[in-house]
Amino acid sequence: MKLPRCPWRTLSAVMLLALPAALAAQERRVTGLITRQGSGIPIEGVEVSVIAPIRSEPVRSGVDGRYAITVPAGVVRLQVRQIGYKRIEFTLPDGQSSADFAMAQDVFKLNEVVVSGQATTIERRSATTSIALVTAEELKRVPVPTVEAALTGKITGVNLQTNSGAPGGGIQMQIRGNNTVLGGFDPLYVVDGVIYSNAVVPSGRGLTNNAANAALEADAVNRLADLNPNDIASIEVLKGAAASSIYGSKAANGVVVITTTRGANGAPRFNVTQRFGRFEPLRLMEHRRWTQDSAVARYGAGVAPLFANNANPFFDNPAAIYKTSGPSYETVLDVSGGTANTKYFVAGNWKNDEGIELNTGAAKQGLRVNVDQTLGSTVDLKVSSVYNRNTNRRGWNNNCNNYGCHGYALTYIPSFINLAARNTEGFLSPVGIGNAANSNTIFLSEIGVNGEETNRFTGGATLAWRPNIGTGQTLRFVAGGGIDAFDQRNDVWSPNDLFHERVQALPGESVESGGRSKFVNWNVNAIHTGTVLGLNLSSSAGLQYEDRQLNTFSIRTQNLLPGQRNVNQGTNITANENLTQERTIAFYASEEVRLLSEKLLVRGGVRAERSSVMGDIDKYYVFPNVSSSYRFQNLLGNGNDVKIRAAYGETGNQPLFGQKFTNLLTPQLGGQQGIAVSGAAGFSGVEPERLKEIEGGIEGALYSERFTYEFTYFNRNTTNLLLNRVPEPSSGFATQVFNGGKINNWGYEAGVGFTPIQSASLMWVSRATFTHYDSKVVDLAGLPPFFPAASGFGNLGRTRVEQGKQITAIVGFDFDAQGNRAAALSQLGNSAPKFRMGFSNDVTWKGFSFNTVVDWQQGGSVINLTEYLQDDGRTSADWGSPEWQTRYNGYLKGVIAPYIEDASFVKVREISVNYDIPKSIYSRLGGVRNARVGIAARNAFMFAGYRGLDPEVANFGSAAIRNNLDITPYPPSRNILLNFSLGY
Amino acid sequence: MRILTSRIAGHGLAPLVLTAILGCGELDISNTNAPTLETLTGAPTRTILARAATGIFSQSYNDVATEVTVYALYGREGYNLLGNDPRETQEQFRGPPDPTGRHSANWIGPYQTIRTVNTYLEALAVAPGMTPAEVKASQGFAKTVKAWMLHRVAVRTGALGVPVAVDQPLGGAPPPFVSFSAALQAANTLMDEAYQDLLAGGTAFPFTVPPGYTGFSTPATYARFNRALAAKMNVHRATFVNCTACWQQASTAMGLSFVTDAGLPASLATGVYYQYSTTANEPTNPVTEPIASQRYWVHPSIVNGAQSTAGVPDRRLTTKVRAAGRTLNLNDLVGTHKPVMYNSASDPTLANLAAPIPWINNEELLLLRAEINWFTNNQAAAVSDINLVRLQAGGLGPAAVTASSSTADFVTELLYNRTFSLMWTQGTRWIDARRHGRTTSLPIDRPGDIIYPNMVVPAAECDARRLPTPCTPL
Repeated sequence: MKLPRCPWRTLSAVMLLALPAALAAQERRVTGLITRQGSGIPIEGVEVSVIAPIRSEPVRSGVDGRYAITVPAGVVRLQVRQIGYKRIEFTLPDGQSSADFAMAQDVFKLNEVVVSGQATTIERRSATTSIALVTAEELKRVPVPTVEAALTGKITGVNLQTNSGAPGGGIQMQIRGNNTVLGGFDPLYVVDGVIYSNAVVPSGRGLTNNAANAALEADAVNRLADLNPNDIASIEVLKGAAASSIYGSKAANGVVVITTTRGANGAPRFNVTQRFGRFEPLRLMEHRRWTQDSAVARYGAGVAPLFANNANPFFDNPAAIYKTSGPSYETVLDVSGGTANTKYFVAGNWKNDEGIELNTGAAKQGLRVNVDQTLGSTVDLKVSSVYNRNTNRRGWNNNCNNYGCHGYALTYIPSFINLAARNTEGFLSPVGIGNAANSNTIFLSEIGVNGEETNRFTGGATLAWRPNIGTGQTLRFVAGGGIDAFDQRNDVWSPNDLFHERVQALPGESVESGGRSKFVNWNVNAIHTGTVLGLNLSSSAGLQYEDRQLNTFSIRTQNLLPGQRNVNQGTNITANENLTQERTIAFYASEEVRLLSEKLLVRGGVRAERSSVMGDIDKYYVFPNVSSSYRFQNLLGNGNDVKIRAAYGETGNQPLFGQKFTNLLTPQLGGQQGIAVSGAAGFSGVEPERLKEIEGGIEGALYSERFTYEFTYFNRNTTNLLLNRVPEPSSGFATQVFNGGKINNWGYEAGVGFTPIQSASLMWVSRATFTHYDSKVVDLAGLPPFFPAASGFGNLGRTRVEQGKQITAIVGFDFDAQGNRAAALSQLGNSAPKFRMGFSNDVTWKGFSFNTVVDWQQGGSVINLTEYLQDDGRTSADWGSPEWQTRYNGYLKGVIAPYIEDASFVKVREISVNYDIPKSIYSRLGGVRNARVGIAARNAFMFAGYRGLDPEVANFGSAAIRNNLDITPYPPSRNILLNFSLGY
Repeated sequence: MRILTSRIAGHGLAPLVLTAILGCGELDISNTNAPTLETLTGAPTRTILARAATGIFSQSYNDVATEVTVYALYGREGYNLLGNDPRETQEQFRGPPDPTGRHSANWIGPYQTIRTVNTYLEALAVAPGMTPAEVKASQGFAKTVKAWMLHRVAVRTGALGVPVAVDQPLGGAPPPFVSFSAALQAANTLMDEAYQDLLAGGTAFPFTVPPGYTGFSTPATYARFNRALAAKMNVHRATFVNCTACWQQASTAMGLSFVTDAGLPASLATGVYYQYSTTANEPTNPVTEPIASQRYWVHPSIVNGAQSTAGVPDRRLTTKVRAAGRTLNLNDLVGTHKPVMYNSASDPTLANLAAPIPWINNEELLLLRAEINWFTNNQAAAVSDINLVRLQAGGLGPAAVTASSSTADFVTELLYNRTFSLMWTQGTRWIDARRHGRTTSLPIDRPGDIIYPNMVVPAAECDARRLPTPCTPL
């Protein structure tokens, strides 16, 4: 492989002349066959390279598993590696020209390389912190609507919660507990080096439904939903502060590093996957059955005729709205290949999911192009780009105060009313009785519109230059950057024909809203590795720049002309625009030392940054980290390493845009725009929250890596919290931002992996994860207990932040000893679970593979206001039972305790069976490399004592403090799919 | 390839790094979402002050909706039977009051207006280009609003008292609560001060006066509105906290107000209004709704309690209340009639979001004059005033009370007329019952229902004072 040399290389060649003669010696060619241990199947694409006495560029094995590499004369050390297999290092004696390798599968990914810095990686075996790694294979067994859902049950330290069952996403991810009250609560997402927005831009659905918090209760999608799960090669979750510290003051909530698939050297390869499926309701609201007497007692004599022909009329109205969906499908196409210099991966997908609610669904299309190009022998360029289009229709659910959404209205619609009944002209009629008298939500589904469309481009490039500076050391310069931009548009139309609109003062409403986001980031880094003074060092330093903008807007129109929906077709038009922009500049340096024959690894680093969101934009905030691991090699027999690790790190959580400003209101009166003091005061000296964490753990393998274990303990304190002081409201201010206080989160995470059977034809891999964390509000800087924003409704159970308590405490009124309402609020629950466990099992037998993932949440509490509303509407299915009696007694006395329920559940997240069709069947088709058929189910079963629909619920959507508030959400569903894939 | 490699490798990074270090991008990113407080406190101009005056006019609407629609429940002017929130039929009718929720209302709203007024008054002192008369006119206007807001919160919380010295920077110790009587007095003193400022305020305000002030948009005419409020405030003081001397002050203020016997019945409506509008971004009438809507209902005691003359019922009932044509029973509160006083004049079954709500008008002033007359030993004039309103507003014949009737009987007749003249405008039935010690005579619909003696102190106010909730900081 002769490459044109640039002048610089000539210079390095001159330098090399000064080196020992060994390098200038003769070369020889080595060939061999690489197979899978046990089955003897050839493995394609394995990287073979020389690692001593020099380092060579790797070559890859072909489809037949054969490789050929040119190596220097003399004894050389070869490295053989492939993702999914254990790395092999082999000393090739002088003169030997062939070597075959049988590679063992690395089912627990101990040999994988994980991120350790902006441009550095580390082998998982040596990592100094707990890093969760999920590879494509685990992600893709059972298709997911959004990426983060695929992580459920598979990694430790992470708490994932679906906000509702609506199609298209809406999930919150919490890494190691709740660390903030007012600050950002989302992990930082980095996709191929580009900072990726996970913004939540609500639709106008909450406005049209007069929800108390119109923005938060709109059941919005978090924009990670745009990412196509099929494109992903791996996801790494940096949980601890020591690991995420390199990302500075946005990393307190962890960092999720997503890497997409890239091309490999070789002839073009096509993969086609076709999926068909459907969604089925998992649980629906149940309803009380009525007799004529009970109905007349409740609704008056007017309802008696409804019982004339049938003494016990019963219509399952929820089942008329939420049904098994129409067919859903997905087509995934990709092609990859390349030469030694140029590699490409091009992938497209087309997905359409129908929802269980009438007229709802979600669809996605995407096109990705990833190209790797070498420029000369020392420069690599990687380019990633993707366009995604994501649309959804999420229907009408959650809190609404005008009976213009399904669940809320259904809690008040007695089961002897047939919502689906049509008169002779084919029209639906309003309920006519009770609170939801002016409502018929089937009609709403038929003519209402709640749609969203997002177009997104994400593109980035990384340029790495690796000048040859001699043996025993390497120097790399890496420059990377990218842009992530999306445009989201929402269109909500509540036409004035709707029964509940007809009784509004301004009937008919249309809301056009959306958001435009643009994230730009770039970084330059220098990395040097080598031996200095006998120490094996790796040093890196760099500069990072980020600019994040989000512009949201809404135009709301009320009092529409009949049949019209454009926002200029009504009399009352209100417009809103909000612009946020944050810009951050940071420097970092880090050092990694390997000692004691590479058994001891010590890392340390520091990052200094300043940002536009801080009160003082010239001040650098510094975040240090230090961590170490020690490997006891073969401590428990050959191949049974034990590693202990410890880490300390600091990261931050930036203030949100606007927290440093005290805005004025701009009310309008008589055609004049005025200015007036608002209730929210900013803090001109605002600073980032600071997270300090210690983490320690032990991990290792037994029985030739057939059994692995991992245990991690962490303890983190977030100080300098962003808090809202609540001044005396007689000051005219309701809130004022300030920094202070301290939250402590601690917990442990454990993971085990076991391969009970590992033979040529049968393999069974079993994994379990365990996550437990707990929190305590150590100090509130003198603040009394307070209810954070969107904590709940009045005395109907709310999250309250109180010194000495868990940050996730739910308070409300309980019964006192006399069975009346207690005098004071008390803690009734905790939204955080006691623990979360995941179990996954993969069995492969011949061409068959069978996989399950079970997700178990123990403990935690849900505020079940759906049940409260049903009791208020007198429609609860258990009306009259002793349980109802206790609850209803609470309802009457203003005691919410009976409605705070246990959130424990066991969900079978994934089940799949796949069959690799034997080659003999399709060999005549020509060119087909592999063929596979399968059936898969997501959220196949749920076991929960919870009386509502799904204990995984959040009426207010993603929030800093997990808020398990159940107000008539979109019901949960089960997704069953058939898969066909073909590879050419 | 050769050249490209060389360039990228050798020279590409250098400018990048240079750019990074020297011109990383400006970090001083401004906030385009709203003007900030510095706009007002920094270097205010005449234009900015005019905008702030509009802000004060606008914030004078703060919590008016609460007083109209929530006090209506407390005083049994009606019900909210929409059923979307069980608290409307439970907590609001039978307690216990939740100082973090419903019973924290109508507090920060008025105090926010006071904060704006105080900020405005400070800015006024330093703004260039204002004549002394303009400054006085502006001060008189702003203080009038502030005094009224103070009066409102004092009435809201009654015997629990309120903080008055709230003009201090954020972050200090919360100002002390003062007694009901001291709070009312402070409001009244400020209202008098405002009046003096208005008298020295020249011929025009240096800002645009919004709709709702027809006939009261100059310093001199606005001063008559100021005196009307002063008369009402003094009547409240006289009845709420037994300020005997206040009757005389009320009488004096009444004389300087816009009360008139001329031009009746049209002049009953003369006054200052919260003018609503369907123009985008402007406040809309909070009560009006189509008759088919389930939210607001008139209390049966009003529907059934109207007097009639020669078989013709009180016109104030027939024009303001309308049978819904249906009966709604929610948790044993039964609605049959809807309030339509703010509905479309041409079709009362339809809403009219632009309908104004009276702040104070001649009809109310006549009733206040009747009350002042009775308690200043001018019973004949009092009865004459009552009968005037009965006739002009209600189409009713003379009242049964005479100059020789007992005070109790007079008050009964007075409160009947106040309820029918002022229903769903200001929570008059609740406030009147409280100030005349008649809360026990308000109707109770269900066993266990109560009449609130006042609204409680909001929890945040207790928290800021390190007091357990519910608190009585006084």
